[in-house]
Amino acid sequence: MSENSRALKLAEDNLKFANKRRNAKEKWGIVLDTSKCIDCKACTVACKMENYVPVGFYNYRIWVAEDTHYAKYPKVKRSFQPSQCQQCENPPCVHVCPTKASYKTADGVIMVDAKKCILCKYCMTACPYDARYENPATEAIDKCTFCYQRRAEGKDPACVETCPPKVRVFGDLNDPNSEVSRLLADNEYTVLKPEKGTKPKLKYIK
Amino acid sequence: MYLLKTKLNRRKFLAYSGGTLVAGAMASKFSTIKAVASVHSGQGKESKTKTVPSACAICVNKCSFFADVKDGIIHKLNPNPNFFKSRSMLCARGNVGAKVPYDPDRLKKPLIRTGKRGEGKWKEVSWEEAYDYIVENVIKLIDKYDNRSSIAFASTEGLQEEFFRHLTSVVGSTNSVRHPTLCLASNIQGYSSVYGTMPDADIANAKFVVMAGSNRAEAFITPDTIDLAKRHKEQTFVYLDPRATKSAALADKWFPIKPGTDMAVVLAMINVIISEELYDKEFVDKYTHGFDQLKEHIKKNTPEWAESESEIPADEITWMARKFAENAPASVWYPGRRSSFTANDVYYRRACAILNAIVGAWDRKGGLIPKSSISLKSHEFIFPLYDRVKSRIDGGKVNFAVDILPDYIKSNKGMPKDEVAYLSETDGSWVLFRDAILKQKPYPVKGMFIYKQNPVESVPNRSKTLEMLKSMEFICTIDIQMSDTAWYSDVILPESTYLERWDPAHSLSGVAPVVIFRQPVIDPLFDTKSMKDIAVDLTEKFLEKDEFWVDAWEEDKAYMEEYVKTFKGVSMSRIIEHQLSDYPGAYKMLMEKGCFYKTDKIPYGETLKEGVRLKTKTGKIELANVRYPEAGLHDLPVYQKPSRLPQGKYRFVVGRHAQFTQANTQNVPYLLEAYGDYENMLWMHPKSALKQRLKDGDYAIVKSSVGEQRVKVKVTEYIRPDTVFYLHGFGRLSKWLTNVYKIGASDAEILEDYAETISGNALLHETFVEIKKA
Amino acid sequence: MTANVSTINVFTKNEKISNIWLIITLLISLLGVYGLFNVLINGHDVYGVTRTVPWGILISTYVFFVVSSTGLCLISSMGHVFGIENFEVIGKRSIILAILTLLCGFGVIALELGHPFRMMLYNVISPNFQSAIWWMGTLYGVYLIFIVFEFYFLMKHNHKGAFYAGLGGFLAGISAHSNLGAVFGLLEARPFWHGPYLPIYFILSALISGSALIIIIFFVAYRSPSNMPEKVVKVLRSITKIFGFLIGVLIFFDIWKIITSIYGAPPEKFEAVQTLLSGQLRVNFWLFEIVLGMLIPFFIIIFTKGRNIKASLFAAISAVLGIFYMRYDLVIAGQLVPMREPLPGAHVEGALPNGLVSYSPSFTEIVIVVGAIGFCAFLYLVAEKYLNLNEE
Repeated sequence: MSENSRALKLAEDNLKFANKRRNAKEKWGIVLDTSKCIDCKACTVACKMENYVPVGFYNYRIWVAEDTHYAKYPKVKRSFQPSQCQQCENPPCVHVCPTKASYKTADGVIMVDAKKCILCKYCMTACPYDARYENPATEAIDKCTFCYQRRAEGKDPACVETCPPKVRVFGDLNDPNSEVSRLLADNEYTVLKPEKGTKPKLKYIK
Repeated sequence: MYLLKTKLNRRKFLAYSGGTLVAGAMASKFSTIKAVASVHSGQGKESKTKTVPSACAICVNKCSFFADVKDGIIHKLNPNPNFFKSRSMLCARGNVGAKVPYDPDRLKKPLIRTGKRGEGKWKEVSWEEAYDYIVENVIKLIDKYDNRSSIAFASTEGLQEEFFRHLTSVVGSTNSVRHPTLCLASNIQGYSSVYGTMPDADIANAKFVVMAGSNRAEAFITPDTIDLAKRHKEQTFVYLDPRATKSAALADKWFPIKPGTDMAVVLAMINVIISEELYDKEFVDKYTHGFDQLKEHIKKNTPEWAESESEIPADEITWMARKFAENAPASVWYPGRRSSFTANDVYYRRACAILNAIVGAWDRKGGLIPKSSISLKSHEFIFPLYDRVKSRIDGGKVNFAVDILPDYIKSNKGMPKDEVAYLSETDGSWVLFRDAILKQKPYPVKGMFIYKQNPVESVPNRSKTLEMLKSMEFICTIDIQMSDTAWYSDVILPESTYLERWDPAHSLSGVAPVVIFRQPVIDPLFDTKSMKDIAVDLTEKFLEKDEFWVDAWEEDKAYMEEYVKTFKGVSMSRIIEHQLSDYPGAYKMLMEKGCFYKTDKIPYGETLKEGVRLKTKTGKIELANVRYPEAGLHDLPVYQKPSRLPQGKYRFVVGRHAQFTQANTQNVPYLLEAYGDYENMLWMHPKSALKQRLKDGDYAIVKSSVGEQRVKVKVTEYIRPDTVFYLHGFGRLSKWLTNVYKIGASDAEILEDYAETISGNALLHETFVEIKKA
Repeated sequence: MTANVSTINVFTKNEKISNIWLIITLLISLLGVYGLFNVLINGHDVYGVTRTVPWGILISTYVFFVVSSTGLCLISSMGHVFGIENFEVIGKRSIILAILTLLCGFGVIALELGHPFRMMLYNVISPNFQSAIWWMGTLYGVYLIFIVFEFYFLMKHNHKGAFYAGLGGFLAGISAHSNLGAVFGLLEARPFWHGPYLPIYFILSALISGSALIIIIFFVAYRSPSNMPEKVVKVLRSITKIFGFLIGVLIFFDIWKIITSIYGAPPEKFEAVQTLLSGQLRVNFWLFEIVLGMLIPFFIIIFTKGRNIKASLFAAISAVLGIFYMRYDLVIAGQLVPMREPLPGAHVEGALPNGLVSYSPSFTEIVIVVGAIGFCAFLYLVAEKYLNLNEE
């Protein structure tokens, strides 16, 4: 089985699995404390391995950007912003997709049914986060799925699991006892581009 | 009679140094192995997935992981949550390990050179042919120079390095040279001279941390890296570095210290702590030696003096000193894993160690903690004793040792001029070793075995290394990829990657030691072998040649037959079982959980217990070292002003990036993408760039006294104006490193080859460069 | 009436269309064939589109084609739908060109889509009624059917049929085209596009395209005003006036669009408009959009008062060229402000030092566009040469 067909199979398996989980009650989200991030890129590489994201500078589901600060030697500050698909509760990419290839699972994860994708790239223009790319392996649009395949074993997404200082915490936002809910209760947080009304499920602790 | 005595002494020594590891599987009580038991299948049999515990080999940390294998192909390496040392993480490099066996650039079959050296013409040969070629050449060289030490053995750490060291003993050479003198030999020497050991820092509990040059965020991701990042809100972290690296992101304060003056800051801190009586008097009285001498010694090292040296404001130094004392024992001047900066490195590290000692931040929560390890059962082999052997080429009195010192320190009294004072018998001193070979003093070394190391790229002054390789009559390299050194070799043996082979169990020493091992995650994809098999096979080949044994003792051959029998056809799992046989249940835990440990708690205060002696001469913490004066060294850390910046030049500093392990992983496309570019860049402060009329993205020629490189310029506020930097491991010479061959710039090419003569460590911040527009 | 139908000459030969032009346009079309094969063999890598600018010149050319088609249909509907008598003479030519431009538009977008055949299937079995692209595609399909019938009835001089088909085409065309505007206008993520402006603007610019193309095709059919029947000249004069008036409205629209995009520097809109005013699209904008697309035609028509049809031709050619660039600029400018700041590590494709991203069409994209336009011209010339497109 080639890497490409494995990538395609993963997308198909995730669709099947999402159908099986159509009564799921969870609402998955990630809470990030970016002040811990050291830009080691473990998350981005782990994501590429886990999800058969092909080699290529612009083939990626997640990224770590370095923030801009007013910095004049010797007073400098550095900080980093890891991010990925915001798994919006109000996802523009799903609204615009003509063939329903982009879909939202019962537990709120946005995925792409590679077989239905016609590559019109409307979702790419609709996404305010540049979280989607054309995957040459699946010949479809590809994006973060919160490693949906890992829900089967209850494992955290690869980016969450592999992170050295555990910048990201993954969990069920509907469960008041989950760690994510606790973090949100205890901390002030923000989301990216709140003005776009997308209601992101990635929450950044301030 | 006399001869016999020395021979036996030497035999004892060799047996000790040759085989700290392993084996004796015959002695094993356990007869069955459940190697496959560890390979338990994952969900759903139809998909044929399995989860295999093993350990990473992409850097020295050896993090345990669970490999997720689907249909015989490695899908993903996942961090092992049981492996507390990695805090359940796998870094970018560890993750990319999943692709290592499938790298199209890897070595797939033994190769013998057909063209000129470095021309890149090879023929694929069978292992038999390669072995015959090697054995023939080894015997030829030994006969020609009447000296087994005419063949050098260079290697770097790894779980299979032991077998390479066995091969060294089988051939009978004394000339082994290893990585420590390109790494932290001076650091170990400095700390050991105070504590008798090289400690770790308890960053997980420290409240005040100073790091000087250790770029924890971008070098290997260690437990310290993670604890520092996790606890940065509750910890005060002061970072001293000419560059604002990504570690600066975690820092409360960053000081762009003038390179080579770190010791001035440490001495001034000691000065403040002593003069303000902030030190731990009880601790100092009870556990240290030489405090009064120290007190006298640092009187002149005021913060104001240190400011003039280091350009860090005196009040900041005073603040650091007070905070350091206030937070003690949860204070750490980070011992780090940095290579030597300047010629004064051993004294500098001593000063760092002393700073921690006087506030009592030793072997207490949040301070420096001595490492421990889990002792594994090993087999000590008896290796042959040959007549045609000479002592180390870089050992003892070497009249040209003074040549490896930078000029400004040649007059320093505490610096040996005719030897390396504490040269390691197994590690040597790379810079001096290479000079000795080139000078053929005291004898010619004309053959080389190189395992896993890549001296062309890792030893400063690349042209000189190439010259050394050129002078060789025979070079055999064992590696998984065509390193630059392999490129200049005569015969290349392809090793199986760490995902395709068994490696013996290994205790990772640290504040809480843990044992790991390796097992094949997949079957070898190509015609490759492990170093163990290569060592055993070659030994067998040598056994077939009577002429090889003419200067050995009668029984030596028998010993070697025993050695072969120990490994040949014996599975590594049985060896590991034996190694762990002192600990009931350990083997099972290792195979199931991927690691074995007794406790993950740090045992504080073991060395502070009544009657416990440190491994120093006095048994105490030696603020003033008792042995050093005997070797003509200062007993206290004496500051040496670094060399002055020559007009129009810049100090070149080296450093790391989280994507690259030394010069090993630059060829991996995933990591280049994560790094963010396909070449390295010269960091220049805007002022300096303006002075040299360079803009961001321009190309510049960086020229030192030993070489020059062309490199893209990155203009950044993150570096001192008098200092420049570019990343290690680019601008490579091996065409089989397709993604970095002649792309970017090599630092080995321009680094001047100085070393200090206490530990023999290469000096990486003593190079000044001219920069002009390309 | 039915008896009459069979006697109508559907086919005729227009000697004014020289074979040389047919050959030239056909040769130009071959460029497109080269582009086509390049894509089929090497895949979409041969396009200049990126992760940050996923829609390139093929999309803007598609928009150009369908804008033209819609405009032709709308203008011609004045005759046989709204009964403005003189306008009936333009019916056949407008509608055949509307069909051809639409088909060429479909052809271009089929090459832009990764999976055009998959689209046909899943548009039907898995429709998303919330998607503007779905509505746009479906409505254009319906529109095509209407205008094909319209053309058939016109050729057969079935006025009633032409009326109903024309009305259907008019409604479908307006819906489809405003939906195309909505494809952009519904994107909250792209402030430069977002809002009700684009659907309205698209209809306006369609009318301009339609007017201009009608003027051009009558010159193609008759070569010069001296050959034109009086009726045609009269209609062209009327169309010229409409054309001039609409350009005036367009200028008005554009001025306010720009003012609202720079006043107070509204985020992202401002940066996008700056790419037009002073950034990478400035030549396109000032020279092609403003000068060729608006000022030249507007002033030609003002100064000739719409009476000099020859001058109108130049105005029309200038405007069509300008409109092609307008479509390009509209599509590209909306994407040049990246959705994420191009910071180190952000891997924003095509990032420029000024914080924006860049796009330039690849050679393959350009030859496909040139080929498609050439092919459209070729088909029209064939139609003009062999079909009886004259009224009476």
